[in-house]
Amino acid sequence: MSYLETISIEDTANVAKIEPKGRSRFITLSINGERHEITVKPRKMLIEVIRDTVGLTGTKGSCSSGTCGACTVLLSGRPVLSCITLAVECDGKEIRTVEDLAENGKLSALQEAFLDQGAVQCGFCTPGMLMSATALLERHSKPSLAQIKKGLEGNLCRCTGYNAIVDAVLQVSGQGVTPVMK
Amino acid sequence: MSELKFVGKSFKRKDGPDKVTGRALYSEDVKLPGILIGRVLRSPHPHARIVSIDTSRAKALPGVKAVITVEDTKGIKHGFVETPRYPADQEVLARGKVVHVGEELAAVAAVDSFTAQQALELINVEYEILPGVFDPEKAMDPEAPKIHPSHPKIADKEPFSNIGGKTECGWGDVEKGFAESDYVREDRYESQLRTHGYLEPHVTLAHWESDKLNIWTSSMGTFVKRAKLAKTLDLPYSSVRIHKTYVGGTFGGKIDLYSHEYCAARLSILTGRPVRIVASREEIFSAYRHSQPLIVEVKTGVKNDGTIVAQQLRVINNAGAYRGSGVVVVFLAWGFTMAPYRCPNLKYEGYSVYTNYTVRAPQRGHGCPKVRFAIESQLDMIAEALGIDPITIRLRNARQPSEDLPNGDNVHNGNLPECIRVAAEKSDLLKKYGEARKSPQTGHIRRGIGIGVSAYFGGSLIYPNSSGVMVKMNDDGSAIVLTGAIDVGQGAETVICQIVAEELAIGMEDVKIISSDTDTTPQDIGAWVSGMTYITGNAARQAAGNARAKLIQVASEQMNAPVEDLWVEDKAVFNRQNPQQRMTYDQVFAASVATHRGDTIIGEGFWRTMRDVPTHPSLATTKGRWTENYAFSAQVAEVEVDIETGEAKLVKALTVHDCGFPVNPALVKGQVDGQVSMAMGHAFMEEVITRNGYTLNPNWLDYRMPTIHNMAASEDADVITEEYRVGEPYRTKEVGEGLVSGILAAMANAVYDATGVRLYTTPFSPERILSGLKKLEPSKTTGVRDQQSPEVL
Ligand code: FES
Ligand code: FES
Repeated sequence: MSYLETISIEDTANVAKIEPKGRSRFITLSINGERHEITVKPRKMLIEVIRDTVGLTGTKGSCSSGTCGACTVLLSGRPVLSCITLAVECDGKEIRTVEDLAENGKLSALQEAFLDQGAVQCGFCTPGMLMSATALLERHSKPSLAQIKKGLEGNLCRCTGYNAIVDAVLQVSGQGVTPVMK
Repeated sequence: MSELKFVGKSFKRKDGPDKVTGRALYSEDVKLPGILIGRVLRSPHPHARIVSIDTSRAKALPGVKAVITVEDTKGIKHGFVETPRYPADQEVLARGKVVHVGEELAAVAAVDSFTAQQALELINVEYEILPGVFDPEKAMDPEAPKIHPSHPKIADKEPFSNIGGKTECGWGDVEKGFAESDYVREDRYESQLRTHGYLEPHVTLAHWESDKLNIWTSSMGTFVKRAKLAKTLDLPYSSVRIHKTYVGGTFGGKIDLYSHEYCAARLSILTGRPVRIVASREEIFSAYRHSQPLIVEVKTGVKNDGTIVAQQLRVINNAGAYRGSGVVVVFLAWGFTMAPYRCPNLKYEGYSVYTNYTVRAPQRGHGCPKVRFAIESQLDMIAEALGIDPITIRLRNARQPSEDLPNGDNVHNGNLPECIRVAAEKSDLLKKYGEARKSPQTGHIRRGIGIGVSAYFGGSLIYPNSSGVMVKMNDDGSAIVLTGAIDVGQGAETVICQIVAEELAIGMEDVKIISSDTDTTPQDIGAWVSGMTYITGNAARQAAGNARAKLIQVASEQMNAPVEDLWVEDKAVFNRQNPQQRMTYDQVFAASVATHRGDTIIGEGFWRTMRDVPTHPSLATTKGRWTENYAFSAQVAEVEVDIETGEAKLVKALTVHDCGFPVNPALVKGQVDGQVSMAMGHAFMEEVITRNGYTLNPNWLDYRMPTIHNMAASEDADVITEEYRVGEPYRTKEVGEGLVSGILAAMANAVYDATGVRLYTTPFSPERILSGLKKLEPSKTTGVRDQQSPEVL
């Protein structure tokens, strides 16, 4: 197997973009409460629609293969990896991205908790981490450590070692953790 | 001086709100009209002669706007190191032969990525396969395939092949030292290939506008990128602008000039359109620069009380197919050897060896973890053989404050003994150590504890050798800081704002920052020699102080009070003799404009380490001073090993470090936690598995990086040895990379403490631990354990 072949197979984001065949489909997505009517190739991934077609670049792509969680968004309230989710699968559904967390320019309690705990360093994992944490907190208002780990297990963070991220979730869920930054 | 309001406090990140809302722009988020997609053709072979490259079919493909090979470049070489001894050695695209899998041969720009990919496949390259060499010791064999000629200065004296460079130094007389020692032992340690694991992939967007090349690229130092791009493109610096973007992690892997950066630029110049190249994760794993696996052979002689008498090291770096930072690592490995402990007789040799692997880059710690793993493991073995505990032997040898180092540097107030004492006390190490091996244990989990010590330099002289900062006062009394510093996650922008707020006595919200843009901000060392807080921070302190002096000068004229009586607080200048007499900054600013012929108020500051010492150390001989900022640390690891499965994990880490003082303690803690986690990956999980130069696990499913399930408790404690006084220079020290080292060694020592298994190769995988346990078994029944011939596991 040549090196080039492996690239073209693995690099799913690009494979999706280049799909020349397959008839385009007309889909409707609700992204952060706004309705988008879009024509897409069947192979197009959700992350491309969000970032390139709609232009919301808060959602990050890192591995394009479902292994890092950076591209996590909420689809009908559940966290999904937008780099391996076909856009056509989301037809008629509601999608939430990191841009939806602050309301009228005011950070949500979860976003504040991330900053209070130093849970953000380079920030590249942050949008996906925040979306996974949002879904977790919607399921469990006071998640246990085991539930936090389960809820965030698909999100890689290379910078923080995860300690501050766990503390942020504990803080926002009122479990006795106070801000370390002012 | 009055109490500090900003420095030493854990302020939230300046860039935080942008990062949690998705507003922060990273390189791939920058969009320009008419953008073209670039892709790079890479070698499928580890070593081959290029017979011909035919791009005609690719050029003819509709939608392809440009195709380049080395023939379309100026042929100007670049290198991580560019010195008279080690001149630039790498072309931006391969010429004549390829020397590693994934080496860049050609690049295309097309209307979309499908067309770009198709174009790559239409490029016809004819190769003549050459034999490859992958093991550094085999590569040194005079008969080995030659990747590049050995360095001429070494080829004259030594028969080895493929030597990219060598560092050699020493003092005293090691042979005599060993003869005088009561106990001598010799061991060999090896480390694996690891990737940096930055979440943001390499991305470059280039846009040529008539006479200016605009670049957005994921980097650790925009001024270095500008210098290397301008050089290889043969453009003046003023024609290249690297714009600020947020950066999604670097850890050493984004400082070199990468071929794709050049290609995006060149393709934009040729097409007149913006060109973006994004590296896929698989490309990063297979073709980009990783760490530098070292073989460390160390022989140490000690007195019965544990005092080190002599040490001899031979380090071999599997440095990949070009020089990269390989020659720097073998230089640094000496520094990481000599800094923590006194050693009256030392002989050091480090070889940087070419192999047919991808080029190597710095990686957090730049060799330090591998060196400390070796020395600290061996020190524990020595201690055990002599019946000394791990704390006593370290205190016996640790450098004291104010000691001179062999290279003429001084550790100043650096206090390693205090770090060791605090670590021992806080972790209760001496009580816990040896417990698991003493009494018969039940169950299959063994717990162990271990310590490791490390020292790290900061802010050494390296291009551009200086940081400048400008502080521009606004008419309303707030300030804008212009700095070339780049925030790669460590918190550079926040720390600089804290210092400016402190010096000007204004609020954090009154300081806005413009950073890392090569056209609008002064030169800066960048985020890669562990000196930002010291160097750029002192420049910021000076710049703010300069603005403050101007404010005071104008106020003194207006208030009719001597300058000496005036000082600043709450955005105002006041008279210390008569605190009622004061002028707010906006009033002073207006007065300056009115009475000083329109002068506004701008402060400037510059800094570098060793301001009065013009020399750089020699990479070959280590002669010449290096820095005045040595950070010390002692780290303790507690691990659990499952003796049935061989799985080991870090349970608890304690990091006691002397970084001078923390400007922002919570940001320091963030660095500590991240390093502990990364070192845990090094110890137990991570390895880029290769065969004949091919990466076999080019993704995060098969390359296991710590997830939240691997999180370990991490505690830190500062040993404060320096202080901050408004208006005076200060000394902070490294805290962002060296702390991957002591803790790695501590984990190795803790695994031994838990199980009796001594490991000489990272990672400490279940296979290695089980095989070590197996080797211990017969000794249990016969009661004989051969301490002197450790198996290399
Ligand atoms: S980018 Fe989607 S999981 Fe990594
Ligand atoms: S903050 Fe950098 S990867 Fe998580």
